[in-house]
Formats: sequence, C-alpha cells, structure tokens
Amino acid sequence: MEFNVLIGGEAGQGMFSVELELTEILSRLGYHFFATKNYMSRIRGGHNYHMIRVAERPVHALSGKPWDMVVAMDSAETERRHRPALREGGAFIGADRIGQLEAEATKTFQDVTVTSTLLTGLILSFIGADPAAAQAVAPDEPARTALAKGREFAARWGLEGPRSLSPKAGDHCKLDGNQALALGALLGGCQFVAGYPMTPATSILHYFSAVAPEVPVHFEQAEDEIAALNMALGASFAGLRSMAATSGGGFALMTEAVSLAGMTETPVVVIDAQRPGPATGLPTRTEQGDLDFVLHAGHGEFPRVIFAPGSVEEAISLARRAFDVADRWQIPVFVLTDQYLADSVQVMEGRVPTKILRRETPVFGAGYRRYEITDSGVSPLTYPGLSEARVEIDSDEHTEDGKITEDIGLRARMVDKRLRKFEGLRQEAVMPTRFGDRRATTVLVSWGSNRLIVNEAVEALRAEGIAVSSIHFGQVYPLTPPMARGLARKRLICIENNATGQFERLLRRELGLKAAHRILQYNGECFTVAGLVERVRKILG
Amino acid sequence: MNRHDIAWCPGCGDFPIRATLEKVLRELPVAQKDIVLTSGIGQAAKMPHYLPYSYFNGLHGRSLPLAVGIKLARPDLTVIAVSGDGCHYGEGGNHFLHTIRRRLDITILVCDNKVYGLTKGQSSPTTDLGMKNALDPQGNQNTSFSPLAVALVAGAPFVARTFAGDPQHMETVLREAILFKGPSVVDILQPCVSFNKVNTYAWYRERIYRMEEPQKDRYEAIRLAEGWGDRIPTGIFWRDGQFICREGKEMFRRHVTESAVARLLNKPCIMMR
Repeated sequence: MEFNVLIGGEAGQGMFSVELELTEILSRLGYHFFATKNYMSRIRGGHNYHMIRVAERPVHALSGKPWDMVVAMDSAETERRHRPALREGGAFIGADRIGQLEAEATKTFQDVTVTSTLLTGLILSFIGADPAAAQAVAPDEPARTALAKGREFAARWGLEGPRSLSPKAGDHCKLDGNQALALGALLGGCQFVAGYPMTPATSILHYFSAVAPEVPVHFEQAEDEIAALNMALGASFAGLRSMAATSGGGFALMTEAVSLAGMTETPVVVIDAQRPGPATGLPTRTEQGDLDFVLHAGHGEFPRVIFAPGSVEEAISLARRAFDVADRWQIPVFVLTDQYLADSVQVMEGRVPTKILRRETPVFGAGYRRYEITDSGVSPLTYPGLSEARVEIDSDEHTEDGKITEDIGLRARMVDKRLRKFEGLRQEAVMPTRFGDRRATTVLVSWGSNRLIVNEAVEALRAEGIAVSSIHFGQVYPLTPPMARGLARKRLICIENNATGQFERLLRRELGLKAAHRILQYNGECFTVAGLVERVRKILG
Repeated sequence: MNRHDIAWCPGCGDFPIRATLEKVLRELPVAQKDIVLTSGIGQAAKMPHYLPYSYFNGLHGRSLPLAVGIKLARPDLTVIAVSGDGCHYGEGGNHFLHTIRRRLDITILVCDNKVYGLTKGQSSPTTDLGMKNALDPQGNQNTSFSPLAVALVAGAPFVARTFAGDPQHMETVLREAILFKGPSVVDILQPCVSFNKVNTYAWYRERIYRMEEPQKDRYEAIRLAEGWGDRIPTGIFWRDGQFICREGKEMFRRHVTESAVARLLNKPCIMMR
C-alpha cells in the first residue's frame, strides 16, 4: 500500500508550501516518503507540480503509476494535464474545494497562505496519519489549529483514511540532494564556498550562507563563475578546503580555472548540478548532459576525478570523499548531480560517515619546493604564513620551486609528474554498486541520480518474473578494469538522462564494455519506475 | 634573482616598480612570510617571480578573485595583486569593479604602460584614442579607459597614481596604499620602451605634476582622476578616513565540529521557498 499525490498550479500558488509542510510532518511522524517537483523558470504563472509518494517501505523514486490524489490549486491547467492520470476512485481536489479552503484560511486565520496547512491536514487525514501524533509534531499552535481544520474538511468531503498507511521509517533525517551534498562537503572539511546563483545549484549556496554564522565556513557570492572558482582556488592556496557549485552554463565559465587548478595542483571541488542544455536550455528541469563536458573541461592534460552520487547517502559520502581526494592528490574533483536529485526530498535510511575530515597543515623550512618531483606525483603541500617556506604557485609551466620555465626537459617531467597521480587515483577508485540477482544475464547500467529508480525497476521486473540486475557507477571517472568484472558477457542496458548515451560511450572507451541497448530520456523529466519498467520490458520482449 | 632571468626589456618601467616594491615590502611592519602576491598574465604579472614572497601567479585577468579568496580565507595575510593594464582593466575588468566593492583589505597595483607588451604591441584599455598599434594600423578607435575615475565611482576608498620614473614618489604612494585598511588602487604610469613610442619617460616628465594632498571632496577627486593630456596629476586622489573595512573571519586551522553538524542536521529545511 502506498499513496501518490500530485499538487499542481501556477508558480506562486503555494504548492511548494504544501510540499515543505507535508514532508516536514511526514518526516517527523516517521513515514517513508519521496517528494520531487517539476517547475518552470518563472516566479508567477505557468504550471508547476509537486509529487509526493508515501509508503510503508523505503521509496526513492516516482512510481509512475496513476495518482491517488490530484490537488489543483489553479482553475483548469492541473485538471486538464493531470486528472487523466488520476486512478479510478482517486480523489480530486479542484478549484471549488480549494476555494473553500482559501475562504477558511482567510476567515479563521486572516491569512490565505494557511491554505497550504489546511491541505496538509487534509492529506494527512487521507493517509490515516494519527491526528494526535500529527498535532504533537506541528511547528506551532496556529499550525495545530489549521491541521485540525484540514482534517475536518477531509471528513466533510469523505476523504478520511482511504489509504491508511503506517509510519515505518522510524527516527530519520530527510534531505534533498543538494542539502546532502552540502552536508557532505561540511563533513569533508570544506570551509570556503564561492558561487553565483544558478538553478539547480543555488540551494547548495543557500545552505552554506545559512550555516556560516554558526560554523567556521564562509560563502562568498562572486560577480561571475569565473571569479567564483578563482576565489575558491585562492582560498585553497591560502589553506582552506574550498568548493564552487554551479550548473552547466556557469561551469562553462569555470573551465579556465579548472585548467588552472590542474596546472597549479591546487585542490578544489566543483559541483555541477546539471540541467538540460545547450545554452540556457530548460533551466529548472533535469538532464545528465554534462558528463562529456566535465570529463574534458579545461585546456591541457591533467588528472581529475568525477563522482556522480545516486542517493542522498551517497551524495553525503562522495561529497565528503571529494575533498579528501582533492587534497591528497592536489587535483580538481567534480561532483555531478542534477535537478532531479537536487530537488528530490528523501528519507535517509543508510548510515553515513560523520567523522569530519580536516586538512593537514605541515610546516616546512626555507628550502621548501612546492612542485618537488616525487614518485607518486604528489608534492608536499603547505600554505603561506606558516614558516619561512614560500609557497610559489604558477599557471605557467614551472620549476620545482614554482618559477616560470620553458625548459622542455623539465616540462615533460612535470607533465609526467602530474599524470602519474592517475596511477594512485585508479587504485583508490570507488567501486560501482550492484543490486539484484547477479546471475541474471541482463544488467541495467546507470550513473548519478538514476540509481534508485533503476533499483526499484529491477524489483518490479523481478515481481513480474523478469530477471535483471543493476550496476551503478558513483565514480564515473577514472573507470578502472576491476569495475568491469563480470560484465563482459552480460547484456548491458545503459540508462541515462541524455540524448547521446555519454556514459555508454565512456564505458566503451575506458573499459571496452559495449552496451547492447540504451534507454535515454532527454525531455527534461526524470524517469519513473513504471516508465523504466515499460522500456526494459520492450527491449527484453 | 639573476639579472638574465628577468623577462623584461632593458629600460622597462617594471624594473623601478619592482625595486620600489621590494623596498616598501621589506620595510613594512609585516613579517615577510605573511605577505602574499597574486598576479595574472603579462609582463608586469611576472613581478612575483622576482620578489621573495609567497605568490599565486594565476590566469590572465584573474589576479583579483584569487586575492579575494586568499584574503577571505586568511585575514592575517597582507594581500597585494599586481598586474598590468590589460590584465586588471581588460580581461579582468569585471573583477576590478567587484573586488573594489567587496571592501576587503587588498592592494591593487596596476603597472599601466597603455599597451600590451607580452603579446607585442596591441592596444590596451588605457591606450589613447587614435594611437597606432599592432592591431590598430589606422589608430585605436576606442575611448581610453579612465581607471581611477572608475575606481572612485565603484567606491574605492584609496585611489592613487604614481610614475615609474619617480621612485621616491612611488615609494610613498605604494607604502600608503599597502598600509591603508581597505581596497586600495594604484595606477602606476609606466613607459613601455619596446611597444609604446608615445608615452615615454620624457613624455610623462613634461606632463606630470605632484598633488601634495588627497582631495577633500570625492567628486573633485573623480574630476581630477579623469583628467588626461597636457597636465597629469600624480599622488593620492582620495583617501576615505571614515572607510569601514570588511573584516574576514578566522577559519584557518579552526574546524567544524561534529556537535555543530549534529545541530545543523536538526535545522529546518533550508531550501529556497
């Protein structure tokens, strides 16, 4: 048993408020739920909708099945678009009922925005949430009154408890993908973040600016993304683990500084929250279209690592790890996420490492050489002002002590030194995660945000008697031969939110793995479990 | 530094700038280890290589965001960004405006020879209208950028001009700029002996005069800073005695604690709404 609701309307009509209030209470009550949204790049008007799934087991994807309830905050558009997908016997809350709720909000609370709390009470009643428990976790007295009023409307309209669900998630944390990344960055010891607002990365910046007054971290809003990544590099050079976060268009401006990080061997982490391009594209929708771009960003050749987490737990652990890898190998490390993961609120069931990592600050003498050539390719790293050791950093090809050089022999040795890091990076690569029956001949391959949608599809297919397993790559670069173990003789279906199968091509190039099929989606929407099952079924006949 | 390792032309204005900067920094009441230079690309941007301090020689136009990052991360460091007119005013023009606006204690030194040197003689933002250059055989079609007037309008609390041919004046101005607490901008007029045959040492000596005091009125400072031609004032145009510098936060070697993270996890949703 589960419950799926869609709340639609024009931007500014309060759907997001319903999502925020409802998910907050669901979480406090200990329900398993998943919430995501589909919104337009505008502040008013248009058509936005928020989708919430409540269940008695962990859920981390849209089911794609007919809605149990559709709430239309607007007069026609939500009904026109989404009522056809309401299941038979499902509840439709249309303009007349919203009008009654708004009248109640205005009359009793002198505040039409209380409509969202009334709706929250109504939906909680619909799923049979314990009223006393809901009252207990409500934020304040007006909210308690409004939730009770919402329940009265549910009773009046015969919507009390038709989808009775029990809370089974226990005490937990709820996070969206960006909060998870920001938290992971904090755990990774990140103390400096620079950025320029760009959907869907902005909430990462919000997180840091919000926590900065309480902890020793700083967020700086840069004049552009060029400045943002250069600021992060300056802060890293000065001694702080640093990060920039943006989306593809902003990352385009950062590529010059990515190359600077590569040449100067300055540790830095960059998050690219992908959205559909090219250019401005669909600013508020999802896509996995930047893999090729991030893989090749920055002129010249230098080592890099790219992570692409597939859950909130993995977003935390890989973001945390990114800072450690960046520091130990003195390279730029990238974390690819996307609008779907960024804007999806999820219950965190797994445990994550919470020990906070720290940057070492070794002290050297006056003979310190920033670019000393070593076997691992990693030179001793320290920061200005700690001793007489001068930290000399140069974007030109440089000598071991950081001075401009055009010595061609030294140039080759410096290139070799930098690229030698790949050997160590390959050895500590994060292995992909497997799911399902490994004996199955068909393997669904994914990377980044699709992991848990794919895994639920594997389960749904098994329930239909179709045996498939899945593999998810949380590290998409570098790819190493052990990652391909056992895959060569499988029938691989590569699942990606892009039009050209970027990861499928990378698998072929780096590991010689050829996928038999691709399932691609590039209309700006995420996959749903039912949609994915349908497409896999079609391939497998 | 061996003389032959220096990439500047004999007679280049960068030599006296370097010698003066070295003297000023040596005499500064700041430990040598606590001074950090940033630079971009160009002949002037090679300056940090010829001085005994930590430095980050970054990309063309990007010395200022590097300086901002360094100063925010380490308020204890004295941060000086030194580059040329092409770097600070052209490629890095946006950073020039916004670094001034950030109210941080960063000294912006511009070795302004009104021409591109390293790329061999193209017009720069400060090249005078009509001047013939490598890519402007018919003469530069663009209005000359007025950096100090722009800096003043952007809110710079310390704005000065000095001349590479007057080391004594340069020393006073550079020292005051570095000691000033806030963003300070110094445009250092500097002949380019290889690619600027117009704005020579002699050309400047005929036109330059020293202002003894900063202006009392900011608008008068802007009017004077914009002036160019037969009479070119040098000195401190504007020094805002009331300026409140933004103080950085002490973060280096202080760490987020696990109890702080636990507290943050209980914070309500920080998403945009």
